[in-house]
Amino acid sequence: MHSMTDWSKVLEVFGSGIVGVYLVMILLQLLTQLSTRIIDLVEKGNKTGAAAPKPPGNDVEVKA
Amino acid sequence: MFDIFKQLIMSSGAVSLTGGNLIMWLVAFVLLYLAVKKQYEPLLLLPIAFGILVVNLPLTFLMEPEHGLIWFFYHYGIENDIIPPLIFLGLGAMIDFGPLIANPKTLLLGAGAQVGLYVTFFAAILFGFDLREAASIAIIGGADGPTTIYLTSKLAPQLLGATAVSAYAYMALVPIIQPPIMKLLTTDHERKIVMSKLRPVSRLQKICFPIISAMTIMLLVPASAPLISMLMLGNLFKESGVVERLTKASSNELMNIVTIFLGLSVGATMTASTFLSPKVLFIFFLGLFAFIISTASGLLMAKFMNLFLKNKINPLIGAAGVSAVPMAARCVHKVGSEANRRNYLLMHAMGPNVAGVIGTVVAAAILLKNLG
Repeated sequence: MHSMTDWSKVLEVFGSGIVGVYLVMILLQLLTQLSTRIIDLVEKGNKTGAAAPKPPGNDVEVKA
Repeated sequence: MFDIFKQLIMSSGAVSLTGGNLIMWLVAFVLLYLAVKKQYEPLLLLPIAFGILVVNLPLTFLMEPEHGLIWFFYHYGIENDIIPPLIFLGLGAMIDFGPLIANPKTLLLGAGAQVGLYVTFFAAILFGFDLREAASIAIIGGADGPTTIYLTSKLAPQLLGATAVSAYAYMALVPIIQPPIMKLLTTDHERKIVMSKLRPVSRLQKICFPIISAMTIMLLVPASAPLISMLMLGNLFKESGVVERLTKASSNELMNIVTIFLGLSVGATMTASTFLSPKVLFIFFLGLFAFIISTASGLLMAKFMNLFLKNKINPLIGAAGVSAVPMAARCVHKVGSEANRRNYLLMHAMGPNVAGVIGTVVAAAILLKNLG
């Protein structure tokens, strides 16, 4: 065990650690929210497109 | 004839036995008992205990550098950072980030629990440990075995055995350690809060999450790359649904194989000369302290978030911000359902629980960057 402690380094590690962890997690939260919202919109759009009735007369039906 | 017998005795390990060896056997037998009889983290404690036992048999030289069998496992597996990332690959292939994606706010609870880790760092310094040792002890509060081993092997390898055993022992004791802290820091009314059902998460969202997380975290904290890259790769295997063989191999065969080498190597670092010192007692005490403070800081973070949230969260889920997947989440669910039988908190607690895994890796990487 050491008797000489660099207290400025201790405070630096302490402060930068807490701030760093929160910063990363907040950013990850925002990006997760953003990406899920975009994917929700895209998937909703795809679903609406697939469910919409096709306009009459546009289909060319070929019968053998 | 007598001479031959005498020579045999003199060349055996028995004559080189020390009191320290005998005490370490005792430690090994206690861990074996906990693993076999009590089933406390047996997958890890069993090989660790056996590693302790065999390395404390004199003249076996199993940890002799460049010669000993277990030394090779330790050197190539742990010193060269192979095993902890491989464990993370398997963990990623087993984890479901769905509850976290459904409620991303819970990432903050994963961050909240890491505050305890830094408080312990401070406390360990006050106990006289140097900065690198203090960081290795503090990471026990993250309740994540592979991360503890990864960081300690880099910053204070002489403490590896003690920190690893402490981390796994306290993880096994989650159902005993956490409930009193949960009850102390929450009111009956808070414990009864019923959370609304989580929204469904699509497959595409689950596939995108590991990619976005890996890129974000590794760009911000490059030192986290070995663990985060493997964790997210394993999860991508699982969520993509197209590499079932790789998912199975990562979460079963590979995970089981590396667990054997991890446990044995960690146990083998615990020779009498390195383990039997007053420092180790302090490490076990500070490890428990770290665990308690991390649980408390997760709970307090949840209470703090409730000051601003319209739909209140049950603050108990903050306690799952320490990793210990899925034990901490189960513990939260149990305490929550004791307060209110209609309360089903398991899936809500899984969010902060897996966020805790990410948070602990980020915290470890920042410590490594500052002190490595």
